[in-house]
Amino acid sequence: MRFMIIRKADKETESGVLPSGALLDAMMKYNEEMVKAGVMLAGEGLTPTSAGARIKFSQGKPRVIDGPFTEAKELVAGFSIINVKSKEEAIEWVKRWPAIDGGGNVELELRQLFEAEDFGDAFTPEMQAQEELLRTQSIKNG
Amino acid sequence: MRFLVMVKATKESEAGQMPDEKLLVEMGKFNEELVKAGVMLAAEGLQPSSKGARVRFSGSKRTVIDGPFAESKELIAGFWLWQVKSKEEAIEWLKRCPNPHEGESEIELRQVFESSDFSAADYPSEESRQLLKAEDEFRKRTQK
Repeated sequence: MRFMIIRKADKETESGVLPSGALLDAMMKYNEEMVKAGVMLAGEGLTPTSAGARIKFSQGKPRVIDGPFTEAKELVAGFSIINVKSKEEAIEWVKRWPAIDGGGNVELELRQLFEAEDFGDAFTPEMQAQEELLRTQSIKNG
Repeated sequence: MRFLVMVKATKESEAGQMPDEKLLVEMGKFNEELVKAGVMLAAEGLQPSSKGARVRFSGSKRTVIDGPFAESKELIAGFWLWQVKSKEEAIEWLKRCPNPHEGESEIELRQVFESSDFSAADYPSEESRQLLKAEDEFRKRTQK
């Protein structure tokens, strides 16, 4: 099963403070460990919400609101995707997240990803084949 | 430049309601367009927060809090990773997106850091430069 680890934002990430060399080093070592264990699928950092936007759909109509957004604790600063055998294993990995991140105070949210089989019969074999094709092409786009 | 495009959760998505067939098909077509245009890098849906957890770090303490979490508007129900030329291009794509929920939806767009954002001026040491280079290579490996 796959999980998304969401690194919540804080005042520092929202103000555009980049990680220190020591944190870069610790994060790199942590990621290397997950890669070696065959757990890590992806990992990215997000720039502050001042470079982002929100789109609200209401009655089918989109409305654009430019960042920044204020509720720092509910925002996302980065994410990783991991492939593990259980939620417990995912939690074990998250507990080993570099302790110096966020000056020792950080919140990480763990969320399970949907897999094709979760969609039941509505997701026909034809649609599943099409999705596989899209996935392969998406990776090539990168 | 890359953007992470996050679909915010709703009461329904948090209750585990799956998209109906019509939406599944419409979203499939939109995704196909994104792929053909070379915009799409990844797309995933998240299970309700009841299947997730939060880990809070405070000094050397780790506190695990199991889901569900109450503030559904601040939670994420799914995401795309897009490669586009500008924020405006990402917004144009989003305006064509089928409404991901019945009724009201909110989608948040966030620019992803590239290794070029970590300038030599901010990270002058040889060690930092090597780390950033290693990260670039690491990214290439995980994308395979």
